Amino acid sequence: MATPLILEGKCWKFGHNIPTDLITPTHITLRSIPEMAKHVLETANPDFPKEVQPGDLIVAGRNFGCSSGRAIAPKAIKATGVSVIVAELFARTFYRNGHEIGLPLLEAPGVHDLVETGDRLRVDIVRGTVENLTSGKRIQGTPPPDFLLEMLEAGGLIPLLKAGSRFFPEAESQE
Amino acid sequence: MNMIEKILARGAGKKHVSPGDVVVAKVDLMVMHDLSSNFVMRVFETEMENASICDPERIAFVFDHNFSPATQQAAEALAAVRRFAARHGIHKVFDGGHGSVHHVIIENGLWAPGQIIIGCDSHTPIYGALGVFATGVGNNSMAALGFAHGRAWFRVPETMRVLFHGQAQAGVTPRDVAQHLVGRLGEDGAVYKAVEYAGPYMEAMEIEDRILFPLMSIDIGAKCGYVNPDEKTLAFARARSAAKDFEMPVNDADVIYCDTLEIDVSTLEPQVACPPTVGNVKPVGEIAGVKIDVAEIGGSTGGRLCDLRTLAARLKGRHAAEGVRLQVVPASRAIYREAMREGLLETLFDAGANIFPPSAGSNQAFNMGALAEDEVMISTQARNFPGRNGHPKARHYLASAETVAASALAGKIADPR
Repeated sequence: MATPLILEGKCWKFGHNIPTDLITPTHITLRSIPEMAKHVLETANPDFPKEVQPGDLIVAGRNFGCSSGRAIAPKAIKATGVSVIVAELFARTFYRNGHEIGLPLLEAPGVHDLVETGDRLRVDIVRGTVENLTSGKRIQGTPPPDFLLEMLEAGGLIPLLKAGSRFFPEAESQE
Repeated sequence: MNMIEKILARGAGKKHVSPGDVVVAKVDLMVMHDLSSNFVMRVFETEMENASICDPERIAFVFDHNFSPATQQAAEALAAVRRFAARHGIHKVFDGGHGSVHHVIIENGLWAPGQIIIGCDSHTPIYGALGVFATGVGNNSMAALGFAHGRAWFRVPETMRVLFHGQAQAGVTPRDVAQHLVGRLGEDGAVYKAVEYAGPYMEAMEIEDRILFPLMSIDIGAKCGYVNPDEKTLAFARARSAAKDFEMPVNDADVIYCDTLEIDVSTLEPQVACPPTVGNVKPVGEIAGVKIDVAEIGGSTGGRLCDLRTLAARLKGRHAAEGVRLQVVPASRAIYREAMREGLLETLFDAGANIFPPSAGSNQAFNMGALAEDEVMISTQARNFPGRNGHPKARHYLASAETVAASALAGKIADPR
């Protein structure tokens, strides 16, 4: 289940400093991931969980996914079918978690002002580019390092470990 | 190499590591609270067919969000983790009422200088005050590499240094200084970096206060924070760590920093983090007078014995302002017991406080601490993001125990000086 790394779709735009508390609020954290997906980001935009379609994209400002490092936050977003999140900057734990679960993420400073909700975008993770197909504007972001790209292409950390990786020779054998 | 690099190199079985290297290192302790242990357990059971737990002795669960489950759903989640632990021989399970996760780990000595500690909790960097490399990792990291192999992957971080000089004014505590730093650097001021906290002010500080700095590193976006170990670290480790033998790595003399920031603490006022983020920090004078409904001493950045002593000293013979719900949550059972012995709890009880079991307190509002629309809380907690404590339009201010105490007495945010 290799993860596609060139994504095209309709954009949902969010602001700066969206914490995991707004992605998966406390009162839904013990539910199943598909149940959480029905409420994901609803406080930031009540229409989002109701109307998001598989293949849609998210664009956000600085520090997307700050606060708790709960991996259920990117998992709930992925469960909606969102194919990629582009942000000015991700919180470290969210960035790590996203790659570990096989959700493409791209850091692209300036992207927040480049798009509006509803625009069609094309994102190339390997090249690090974001193209706004609606406005014709284009921006260069920072592609993930090779190690995270390999993890992403494999579909996440667990599939990568099962397939084997030059980065994890030690993990092959039990201690 | 600095302390972080030395610990990572040793854990990875390498002579040397440099910033930017990706290493897979052996971890000495894997820490989870009641929620994250449940998330990790679910990943391990559903996505890791045929895997077994590498070393149950290196895993610790602390139930701190629920001191007693308030719903059947929470009860089932906790019961599932207890069954999982029993099935896999995980003995270090601290059930509800033991305290706030990292305080329980520190108090029970499940750490030693030179170790690598990972946690499914973003405040895991706290152990950086104890000569430990510690950081938060995701649930899949913990299940796939941690549980199954006793390891984790890390990108070796660049290290920046913050030097603190000067003497703080009366009423200005290490919490205020740490919070000032978060406000000054902003939520993304140290993204992906390690932050070393140093300078005369830091050297003079006791471990109980030093822990606040690496703990709050997450709120400037850092991977971890640390204080270069010294005689205070060593004395604390000898007294509190269960390990008899440990090596305490310290910085080499020729350490390279990607950046150095100098802060003079002598001019600082008490600092308050205002909604909607931990980085929205203001001197107390700018927001004094905001009416409060709840005041709380508790959480990973509060509920220490020193916080309880501060509150009791300020409230002795007095009473919280009318209309203020005053909540006291000791961070561990040992703190609770000592607070009883010293008579602090009696003083606080008479001042109108509700004393809660050792736990994470109002953090994420599991057993307590939910706010209605437009309600206002001031607390020593670590986080104030909208939606974390009930209604997204509730407002949560974060401050030192001194400022929380002064505010509880005044019924509004108040300068403790």
